[in-house]
Amino acid sequence: MTVDAELVAMMNAVFADHRTAHGPTAGPELWDQLRTLGLARLTGAEESGGSGAGWHEAAELMAAAVRSGVRVGLPEHDLLACWLLEVAGIAVDDNTRTVALLDESGTATAVPWASTAQRIVLVWRTQTGEHAVSDVDTGQVRITAGANMIGEPRDTVSADVPADGATVSEATVTTLHLKAALVRAVQVCAAMDTILELAVEHSSSRIQFGRPLAKFQAIQHMISDIAAEATLARTATEAALTAAVGTTWSAPHLEFLVAVARSCCGHAASVVVRNAHQVFGAIGTTAEHRLHEYTRAALAWRGEFGSVRSWDERVTTAALQAGGAGLWELITS
Amino acid sequence: MAQRLMPIPRLVPALDTEPADATALRAEVRAFLDEQRAAGTFTPAVDAWLCGWDEKFTTALADRGWLGMTVPKEYGGHGRSFLQRFVVTEELLAAGAPVAAHWIADRQIVPSLLKYGTERQKQEFLPRIAAGQCFFGIGMSEPDSGSDLASVRTRAVQVDGGWRLTGTKVWTSGAHRAHAFIVLARTAPVDPAHRHAGLSQFIVRFDGPGVEVRPIISMNGGHHFNEVILDDAFVPDDMVFGQIGNGWQQVTSELSFERSGPERLLSTFVLLAQTTDNMARQRISRDADLGRLVARIAGLHHMSMAVAGALERHEPADVPAAVVKVLGTTTEGDIADFADLHRGDHGALPQQARDLITAAVDQRPGFTLRGGTNEVLRGVIARGLGLR
Repeated sequence: MTVDAELVAMMNAVFADHRTAHGPTAGPELWDQLRTLGLARLTGAEESGGSGAGWHEAAELMAAAVRSGVRVGLPEHDLLACWLLEVAGIAVDDNTRTVALLDESGTATAVPWASTAQRIVLVWRTQTGEHAVSDVDTGQVRITAGANMIGEPRDTVSADVPADGATVSEATVTTLHLKAALVRAVQVCAAMDTILELAVEHSSSRIQFGRPLAKFQAIQHMISDIAAEATLARTATEAALTAAVGTTWSAPHLEFLVAVARSCCGHAASVVVRNAHQVFGAIGTTAEHRLHEYTRAALAWRGEFGSVRSWDERVTTAALQAGGAGLWELITS
Repeated sequence: MAQRLMPIPRLVPALDTEPADATALRAEVRAFLDEQRAAGTFTPAVDAWLCGWDEKFTTALADRGWLGMTVPKEYGGHGRSFLQRFVVTEELLAAGAPVAAHWIADRQIVPSLLKYGTERQKQEFLPRIAAGQCFFGIGMSEPDSGSDLASVRTRAVQVDGGWRLTGTKVWTSGAHRAHAFIVLARTAPVDPAHRHAGLSQFIVRFDGPGVEVRPIISMNGGHHFNEVILDDAFVPDDMVFGQIGNGWQQVTSELSFERSGPERLLSTFVLLAQTTDNMARQRISRDADLGRLVARIAGLHHMSMAVAGALERHEPADVPAAVVKVLGTTTEGDIADFADLHRGDHGALPQQARDLITAAVDQRPGFTLRGGTNEVLRGVIARGLGLR
């Protein structure tokens, strides 16, 4: 599961260079570059123009974008929308995409990147109770622009439910939810790892009372807690990811592992964000300083595709179903 | 934005998938524990690795080859991997089984003996530890040396044929029942420039002359801890442990085994399981904090496995062990508090459940103290991050 270091370095360079030249927003020029490098559809099947890589590589790609503070709906495009099209047997091309899960009224809320995507993969429940998928042009749906707290598009999509679509199984839709949840877990982890790096750097260089902040025990302890929580979140996320990849997303306990990861990430973010801002002092609360690119992102992402509490609830439900006698088996399964 | 940050190497190694033989071993231990519970051999208890002294149970484990697992066969052990031992201990801890009698010997004395013991010491102690017949205590802390271990004042003076030890050790769990402990003592005066120099370790028998064991009664009336007074106690040369003057390095190595195990997150697991049952039966209200705690224990289980993998590969594990211990001991304490928050005095909880909660909240303060306080361990993590 170790990803080639040169590949990771290349990923980091792409986003870091984009950030320097163009700022945080991903425009057509970044997408063109990602396509040229085979990163836009990193995990897509090679026969349909993808690069055939796996989720471990994709996790590094997501983390690279987060580290450079480049906001791009790349995981939604590659890991969710294009994956779903492949499963549904629908042809994939170079257009950027996202996924919208429509309710009975044909509406989907908080759809990531709908307003900047070129096409949207619609998923809906048919009258016979099956799930159907259709790949439509954004002109065919109504998009009401919205945004999360870091300005990423989170839009409302309304559509006249298409008359027909490709049928996908219930299990596929469940997997779609788990994949979406894990995307955010990976992003929160990357943000927290960067926060740790920033906190170590700042506390080592900032002098107060005649010595670096890092020499104060109170500061050391706050940063140690950042490191510990970020590590727990990362371990839980990697455990879910490893189980998912190892079983092609069919592990029976995968939902539990994803819920564990999301719960750990969410609660870790509380400590990491609080302590980091405390370490940075007032400078960290300014627009000018880059700390907020990671702290606000961690908070925004931990609540997407399910609130932290909803994941706690899922773990609670799993625990109650297992009962006291089955709890340890649930944890070690 | 062009500025590049120094990437921080990961504090805990990446996770490997559990090998099939380890999973099979889990099933074997679970079946054994089910049998024992059904036969009423033990009642699952909180903190049973400190408080649950049951030599018959220890013998039963030894009979199955689950003591001294990593000891080579020529020393009466079983030549199994560190990861296999990890799996067995995890299962025993999760069940709240009474493992205190052999715990310290099996956890830290075995690896220390294998690393630093003389041939004669290995021959003498390892087979008996593996057979569940020789129990050890810890001789590190003193009345004036808690977290600051380098300040120990117990002195060892060389005499004809050995050493004479004088000083007081405290918090020696099980000294009133165990056979021996490894004492950290000063063999050279403190050099303020090199505080860690001049320390040495000695294997000292509790029944020897000049050794007196006095109980330290815990606030709930329990007796696990002791004070051990060494009054000119003679230790023969062949019971010098490791090298004279190398005590600090040896004790640090011992601590990495003491700190890294699954007991640093599972001391209250039986209470978590019982609280789950009480919630499922609606004796207490549904509370999503249960899920939060279960998720943390699940994450910590994976992290603890990763540390076991590092120890197996002989990688330095002091920083990852500190990460697991800080988070794990906090969480096992939070489990005690969570159960207590739901307790009340008129609820539907049976007495047995209340007793378990009481035991857990009484044991809780010790979780984040023993084996190095969380404050010391945060310092270890900070050093790993390059802050100090």
